[in-house]
Amino acid sequence: MSEKEVKFLEVCGLKKSFGSGDTKQDVLKGLDFTVAKGEFCVLLGPSGSGKSTLLNILGGIDSADSGEIFINGDKLADMNEKSLTRYRRKHLGYVFQMYNLIPNLNVKENIETGAYLSDAPLDIDELLKILGLYEHRHKLPNQLSGGQQQRVSIGRAIVKNPDILLCDEPTGALDYNTSKEILKLIEDVNVKYGNTIVMVTHNEAIKEMADHVIKLRDGKIRHDIINTKKIAAADLEW
Amino acid sequence: MSKESVSYGKRPRNPMIKRVWKDIWRDRRRYLLIFLMFVVTIGFVSGIFVANNSMSASLDSCKTRFKCEDGHFRLSEPADEETIAAIESGEMADVAEIFRERAYNEAEDEVIKVVDDAMAEEVDKQVRAAITEQTTAAVDQQLAAAAAKGQKFTDEQKKTALEEALDTAISENFDKAYDEALKQAKDSDEYTDALNEAFDKAHEEIDKEIDDKYAELSERYGLDEEIKAVPVTVYPLFYKDVNEGLAKDTDHSIGIRVYPERKDIDLFDILDGKAPENKNEIMIDRMHADNVGIKVGDTITVDKEEFEVCGLAAFVDYSTLYEKNTDTMFDAMTFNVAMTTDEGFERIHSNTRANYAFTFKEHPDDEYEEKSFSDDFMKALITQVAVSENEDIELEDYVPAYANQSINFAKNDLGTDMAMGGVMLYILTAVLAFIFAVTISTTLEKESSVIGTLRASGYTKGELLRYYMSAPLMIAVFAAIVGNILGYTFFKNVVVDMYYNSYSLPTYETLWTPYALIRTTIIPIVLMFIINLVVITKTLRLSPLRFLRHDLKKSRRKKAVRLPKWRFFPRFRIRVFLQNIPNYLMLFVGITFVMLLLSMAVGMRETLDYHQAHMSESMFAKHQIILSRTEDDDGNTITTSAKNAERISVSSLERKSDTYNEEVSVYGVEDNSLYIKLDADFAEKADKDEVYISQAYADKYNVNVGDTIVLSEKYENKDYTWKVYDIYDYTAGIAVFMTNEKFNEIFDNDKDDFSGYICNEPITDIDEEYIAAEITEDDLLKVARQLDHSMGAYMVYFQYVCMIVAALILYLLTKIIIEKNERAISMTKVLGYSDSEIASLYLIPTAIFVFFTEFISIYLGYVLMTLFWKSMMLGMSGWFEFTMPVSGFVKEFLLVFIAYLLITVIDFFRIRKIPKVLALKNNE
Repeated sequence: MSEKEVKFLEVCGLKKSFGSGDTKQDVLKGLDFTVAKGEFCVLLGPSGSGKSTLLNILGGIDSADSGEIFINGDKLADMNEKSLTRYRRKHLGYVFQMYNLIPNLNVKENIETGAYLSDAPLDIDELLKILGLYEHRHKLPNQLSGGQQQRVSIGRAIVKNPDILLCDEPTGALDYNTSKEILKLIEDVNVKYGNTIVMVTHNEAIKEMADHVIKLRDGKIRHDIINTKKIAAADLEW
Repeated sequence: MSKESVSYGKRPRNPMIKRVWKDIWRDRRRYLLIFLMFVVTIGFVSGIFVANNSMSASLDSCKTRFKCEDGHFRLSEPADEETIAAIESGEMADVAEIFRERAYNEAEDEVIKVVDDAMAEEVDKQVRAAITEQTTAAVDQQLAAAAAKGQKFTDEQKKTALEEALDTAISENFDKAYDEALKQAKDSDEYTDALNEAFDKAHEEIDKEIDDKYAELSERYGLDEEIKAVPVTVYPLFYKDVNEGLAKDTDHSIGIRVYPERKDIDLFDILDGKAPENKNEIMIDRMHADNVGIKVGDTITVDKEEFEVCGLAAFVDYSTLYEKNTDTMFDAMTFNVAMTTDEGFERIHSNTRANYAFTFKEHPDDEYEEKSFSDDFMKALITQVAVSENEDIELEDYVPAYANQSINFAKNDLGTDMAMGGVMLYILTAVLAFIFAVTISTTLEKESSVIGTLRASGYTKGELLRYYMSAPLMIAVFAAIVGNILGYTFFKNVVVDMYYNSYSLPTYETLWTPYALIRTTIIPIVLMFIINLVVITKTLRLSPLRFLRHDLKKSRRKKAVRLPKWRFFPRFRIRVFLQNIPNYLMLFVGITFVMLLLSMAVGMRETLDYHQAHMSESMFAKHQIILSRTEDDDGNTITTSAKNAERISVSSLERKSDTYNEEVSVYGVEDNSLYIKLDADFAEKADKDEVYISQAYADKYNVNVGDTIVLSEKYENKDYTWKVYDIYDYTAGIAVFMTNEKFNEIFDNDKDDFSGYICNEPITDIDEEYIAAEITEDDLLKVARQLDHSMGAYMVYFQYVCMIVAALILYLLTKIIIEKNERAISMTKVLGYSDSEIASLYLIPTAIFVFFTEFISIYLGYVLMTLFWKSMMLGMSGWFEFTMPVSGFVKEFLLVFIAYLLITVIDFFRIRKIPKVLALKNNE
């Protein structure tokens, strides 16, 4: 792996605060870390630790007060809004805790909204099969279970074959079994398509399946560990 | 799994395009309502514009197509060819000279006869004297000779001898001597002198008489001014004014004006049936036929003769059925115009009215020239008729086309409808724009997380903007297409039917009306485009994160408002209200729009009724008479003995503007008038150019004391600039007041000139022939009646439109409020509140809000309507204030509140239908 691939995502001295004066609250207090290409990285931490803010900044939908972010050598801070949109369009996939599907588009069409953004999208039918949604492709979101809806959401993010897949508590609203199914799916996607995955979670158990675990607390990195003993998602217990 | 096994597909077409259709389907009820509102608005207004334009163009083209007259005149009896030829020359006859020549000619023989008679008598006397003298001398000589011979004669014998001798001498010599003497006398200078002297004396008398007579005529008609010869072609257009009877009843109060076959002038458009072909057939006016229920094939009696109605037509010179041009209003119920064949015309036993139509040989370029031609021709006509060989012939009537109500009224009225249509369009476009703004911002709020996700995934603002603009624009464009199609078909026919109900209009051709498309389609669509663009662009400027967090408001409430320690339910309701303030503001604006529309629908009717009911109060005096001339045939000033009668001068000028030329009445009033009470010291205090204006003038054109007004002669390029001295409390008309003296000075009249009398007592002692017009309450009601007449039918339709719009707005806005609170309502259900409790929590704040809003909105609607009313009145003649009685406000209040209660029932069912699981479900 080249140095560029090792430092596929590089974060240097990242700071972010909300409010001003007395109410000013430092959410990120100077973060430094790198994520290698194709790595499955988990950002772990309790509520209010700044992990979602960090993810949003990585995704270019929020901005940092200071510090730098490089993705594949491109500096995020240099990008204007248009370039940021283009960057998200070409390189990023987003999965949220709430699935935010378009209610009046069916499963396949919801995934097409992601495919449309890419010049070389994945084959949708094959993806639907991988997602286990092929049978449900003509259903509307409200005809699906929460887990199925999250699969659609992952499908929508992954179909454009992004370099980085950002997942914000993707299992946060799901039960244990469904959560494990979703985690397995993300794991499969990571293996099959080789995308770099950055996942935010507060579930300590999930760190076991990651290549790289970054623990945050009070806006600071408490641990930055490369997990050499990762286990399959199916074997996770919590 | 390895990366090599990845298979790629094609980039799909933008799935959001598919979604546009699905969005429209999902929100079909909302879009359908908006679509319907658009269709009705665009259709109705476009219908007005198209019908108006097409009919107006048809009326214009018919003037040429059906050879409309440039005017007509009526003589007391048919004129001979020579007179007609003289009239056609358009030249003014030198009345004085011709009269003088005729009088001289008539006088010459008389003078010669008188002089000759006198001379014959004188010669007779002289010849007899000479013969007597000679004979007496001869007899005396003979008697003396006989006496010398001793003969003796008694005196008796002498006398007898002389008498015998005289008789013999006269019988033998008188004639010869007389003739010789007379011949000698006539050859003498004395005779010539006597004759000349007599001629001079006679001419002197004639000149005096003619000069006096002509001076009067000349002054009355301005014959001493130079005129330009206006050659015309004169067409006999005789008619008979008789009674019409319907076969089925005996009412003979309908007047019918029957013309023989019209071939060359003032032709007609047959709308049903055919032109008469035999003496028993008659073609009548279509509108009158409709009004009284006559159909082709029916039999009517015309002056007791029966005729079969063979056709219904619109005569080009009777688009409005005015019997007399001075009538204040037309009446198609009691007046009819008809045409028979020449033989049929003969069947009617009534006096033929010698009416003639004329056309100018050289077509006038504009209305000024037309007026100038008409005035010049009138002078030529008066003089040529005056000098006609037939001394009994008189000019009874002269109506140039520009002043002919029958020809022009309908066309002018079409303009009023345009003004009305314009106002409706402005209001409805504003309503639609508002609804779209509300709809689009609600959609964006609802779609917040989807927008956030799409933006986070890399969708550009442009892509989302195009997507969110698609549905409303598609609806608007589609509605515009349907609206225009309906405008050109259904609604146009509705409007045209209303026109056909009022006027005798010809057939028309539907015209492509670009301004209808621009005003009813392009403007609303562009407006929609701009509103959507602004609202969507403004919202999309927010970061994807704010969309994901549903944080679309500009400022976030930092602290909760502390509420007093009331019971839970009232506090909950206040919280509902505080949370939904933006929606309630929308509801407020919506109700204000509804009130504006209702102000129009309810207020216009009320205003017209009020105006008609109170018109008599705003008259100067109960009776106003305008004289055709102020001196009677004997040259005495026409007076009246009616108690407190006052002289008044009246003239009519125009207030010109780019949009509408308003006719302004100018009154000259007696000092210290009892009826028009100007300041007692106005005459002394006011400057030369200072005048009073009526309150209506001030209100309509925002004129204040000290302002300058400019009025113009209608058909002459002459302006009058005056300063407003004060405003006179007169609301019935646009008028200017000044003293009679000033009036006469300004209009170059004689010092004592006036136009008529005003009085509270009836004026009965003025001969009808001198009365040009009697201004009654009816005249002042004309504007109101004209509005009532031309808009009465609109009002019905407009009230429907208003009610539909009102219901739609309330439906759409309360729907938004309920939808926004769906999840909260669902949650209260989960918590165990009953439907009626929830309804009381969510519907009562709205009900209270609607209740109080109505009061403010009624006031605002009234104020806005007053402004709209003003803008509408600016496009038409006259002025009366928008008036709304308390009952009108109550009606408005009740209508909206009842509509709201009905919508509340729907809302209650909406609330009942909200499922409990919604609160627990994901957004989808």
